[in-house]
Amino acid sequence: MAATDKTPILKVEGLQTSFFTHDGEVKAVDGVDFEVGANETLGIVGESGSGKSITSLSIMQLVESPGKIKGGSINLTGEDLLKKSKSQFAKYRGNRVSMIFQEPMTSLNPVFTVGHQVSEALRIHKKLGKKDARQEAIRMLKLVGIPAPEDRAKRYPHELSGGMRQRVMIAIALSCDPELLIADEPTTALDVTIQAQILELIKNLQESSGMAVLIITHDLGVIAETADKVAVMYAGEVVEQADVKTLFKRPLHPYTKGLMNAIPRHDVDMDELEVIKGTVPSSAEMPSGCRFMKRCPYASEICETHPSLATPTHNYGVEDDSGAVRCWIYTEEWDTATKKQEVQ
Amino acid sequence: MYIFIIRRFLQLIPVIIGVTLVAFLIIQLIPGDAAQVMAGEAASEEQLEQMRENLGLNEPLYVQYGTFLADLVRLDLGQSVRTDQPVMELVAPRFWITLELAFWGLVVAVVVGLLGGILAATKQNSYRDLGTMMFAVIGLSMPNFWLGLMLMYLFSIELGWLPTSGWGDWQQIFLPAITMGTAGAAIIARMTRSAMLEVLGEDYVRTARAKGVKERLVIYKHALRNALIPVVTVIGLQFGYFLSGAVLTESVFSINGLGRLVVDAISQRDFPVVQGTVIVLALTFVLTNFIVDILYRVLNKRIEIN
Amino acid sequence: MTTPLFETKNLKKYFPVKGGVLNRKMTDVKAVDDVSFAIHSGETLSIVGESGCGKSTTGRAILRLEEPTDGEIYFDGEDFRKLSKSQLRKRRKDIQIIFQDPYASLNPRQKVKQILDEAMAIQGVVPKKDRPARIRELMEVVGLRPQQAERYPHEFSGGQRQRIGIARALSVDPKLIVCDEAVSALDVSTQAQVLNLLKDLQRKFDLTFLFISHDLGVVRHISDRVVVMYLGKIVEIADKKSLFDSPHHPYTRALLSAIPVPDPERKTERIVLEGDVPSPMNPPSGCRFHTRCPFATEICKQEEPELRTAGDMVDGHQAACHHMEEIVEQYGKTPSVQE
Repeated sequence: MAATDKTPILKVEGLQTSFFTHDGEVKAVDGVDFEVGANETLGIVGESGSGKSITSLSIMQLVESPGKIKGGSINLTGEDLLKKSKSQFAKYRGNRVSMIFQEPMTSLNPVFTVGHQVSEALRIHKKLGKKDARQEAIRMLKLVGIPAPEDRAKRYPHELSGGMRQRVMIAIALSCDPELLIADEPTTALDVTIQAQILELIKNLQESSGMAVLIITHDLGVIAETADKVAVMYAGEVVEQADVKTLFKRPLHPYTKGLMNAIPRHDVDMDELEVIKGTVPSSAEMPSGCRFMKRCPYASEICETHPSLATPTHNYGVEDDSGAVRCWIYTEEWDTATKKQEVQ
Repeated sequence: MYIFIIRRFLQLIPVIIGVTLVAFLIIQLIPGDAAQVMAGEAASEEQLEQMRENLGLNEPLYVQYGTFLADLVRLDLGQSVRTDQPVMELVAPRFWITLELAFWGLVVAVVVGLLGGILAATKQNSYRDLGTMMFAVIGLSMPNFWLGLMLMYLFSIELGWLPTSGWGDWQQIFLPAITMGTAGAAIIARMTRSAMLEVLGEDYVRTARAKGVKERLVIYKHALRNALIPVVTVIGLQFGYFLSGAVLTESVFSINGLGRLVVDAISQRDFPVVQGTVIVLALTFVLTNFIVDILYRVLNKRIEIN
Repeated sequence: MTTPLFETKNLKKYFPVKGGVLNRKMTDVKAVDDVSFAIHSGETLSIVGESGCGKSTTGRAILRLEEPTDGEIYFDGEDFRKLSKSQLRKRRKDIQIIFQDPYASLNPRQKVKQILDEAMAIQGVVPKKDRPARIRELMEVVGLRPQQAERYPHEFSGGQRQRIGIARALSVDPKLIVCDEAVSALDVSTQAQVLNLLKDLQRKFDLTFLFISHDLGVVRHISDRVVVMYLGKIVEIADKKSLFDSPHHPYTRALLSAIPVPDPERKTERIVLEGDVPSPMNPPSGCRFHTRCPFATEICKQEEPELRTAGDMVDGHQAACHHMEEIVEQYGKTPSVQE
């Protein structure tokens, strides 16, 4: 499990990424902090528009115009990646930090063979010759469980199934033995039986290489299964952070709670799903206080002030300090504020 | 792949038959008596009869068409009614000149068009993009002959760098090639730009960047290979237009090509020559399309499955 | 037993595959291959399976949006396949379909009220003067404000658009609504809203649903009975409780065990299926699942298993597996989850 005592592999602090559109600035990621250690998996969970994917693209510096990283720092084993020049960072990308994406069907270039695409990163970063890179690419394809890798290396992406293509993506990402793997919804486009295979594969590869994994998903089931730690994102912010067991045992933030009760489960009967009312506010109508306020069943006057992500000190059961939550309920101020309301 | 080529080749057969049929009918469709039209008002009855006999106009239509096809297979396109030379001998040398001219025009169109399109797409909405696209609009709307005359005035007459007319020397290639290629370059540039913009937004381009591929390679290798797929079709079509559109350029630069030949033949009502030219041009057009289809297929591995 | 509202027998839908020099038909993709089931009035029947199993094609074939290759379809006692084009058009009002992407099926140039009005006008179910009132009513029923009927589809969020799709389906008083992955594109919180809405509407208007989905969680929540499909065939059919508590077909068991449970404390004993789903163009001989099945034996390669009821199966529970008795005996009733 977590090896938190060492320097983290990835440490993100105060990350801000905005899109500058005709209608003004859209703060897609607004002050996000987290860290992942070696051999550790951090899951970022959230719905569409939460900023989870933009967070991962920001780490890879793949945010496209009109998006821009506005502030914060992204440290990879102590080096701030945002301070590197473009050409310096290109040496990290695909080498020390790698990424796999949601759409295996479209993430591979249709006009090059699978073998070519896997060996490309090896030729760039490991400076391997054509022949050696090809050998190594075939070894990688074998490692990710592709049957008959010598033959598959000569194939074009459209000749492979979705699950196979995602394996190829993983082979590309892991070819240079990265310290950090970012997986952005790696199984969302796949069928469940294939999803099970892919998640298993990532886990096994992590065990043998000790890399840090950042997994981004909307699926709490995938989180529960793969992550050691979880960050829940809502409207560009982390609203709750905890180790995975704590989070699922006692979710604190009203949004996290709502999310958990909204999933129809295949393993238990639920009569009525709990519903989070309304939808994520657009950037124009984003409340200045707590961003979840308008959808929150507990919202009170104090929520007009923006809460910070802090260790809960009030109103929760178990005594432990592993998590953090962005909600007034778990602060001293909540008691005074609500008492005041009761008096009035 | 081979199956595809064979199938595509079989599809050519009806097209070729259609083309020959249309060319054959040119003579039949001349209003009035074709022999009369060709021989002129002053021709005597014997002359007319002789002309009909020579052209085979007295036979039933299907026999005429059969003879026509049989001759065609032997590369016999008949004889000019003006000079009595075999049409083939008239057409062949000029065809090579026109082909050469169209080739250089295409080189200009492709090189300028691709570069312009890529430059514009990689900096969308910048001044570079705007400037390139403005040139494209101008290039497209400028009449061919006028551009030729302007180029000739500037480079030949004012600056004296290049010859005004003729064909054969390498210096004589530049001006006609630019004249011909400009409109094509504009079309290809616009096409390349939109294809590149689409491809640059694809997931696999992001994957290439995520691998650490340098931006230059991302564009010229990963993106361009895919963007070329629709552009190739346009390029093939351009070549066809160049062949048939060579008339104007050839006139401006006094090049003795196929265009000139056909213009002269029409004005002299030398219909066998017109017919021969039409057939040669049409067959070249069909063949070009055939090659483009195969190229398209080679570039786009995905079609193979469908 | 009462006659079902809907019934299909031996439904087949093959798509020809062309190829070769002359582009002649080479073979068939057997997307739906001999499928029979019935839906009773007021119930929700779900078809669940992975991509390529034929669930969506089944949905379209029974509506004759794609003409079935073979088989019988009865709706309300009437032979649905014998209807002429114009008769079919009239009958369409009784069976409505809701798609995954409501935006694609809503005309972007029409206001919501026009969309609803048009649906009613085509079927001639509501006289023109009563339609505005009916539109207001429909908007409220699906949880939108009546004033929002003045807006265009693009002004709505994904969940709201799906509500419009539902309103349109309801506008003609259908007897059966087919939901083809109707909530798959929605976020969890919106999905819950739409699922609850569908359940409410069913209670209120006594609706019958055919629910097509790949998500077993959603299926468990919404269904009364469930059909599991694999490569164009039904492998198991059962009432919800039996299917989730005592699945008999090894594919159903594997499917259930493959879903990640949102609870890190629960250990899942997973039946990991090797490889991919084979091509429906050239399905495996015998039992179509035998290439991926951990329990397959010689007989599975040769003989195609029929849907049948084993000793302890109740309420019309059927599965198509040669070995289901042994599997259930050996591995217990619930395959996946252990506390």
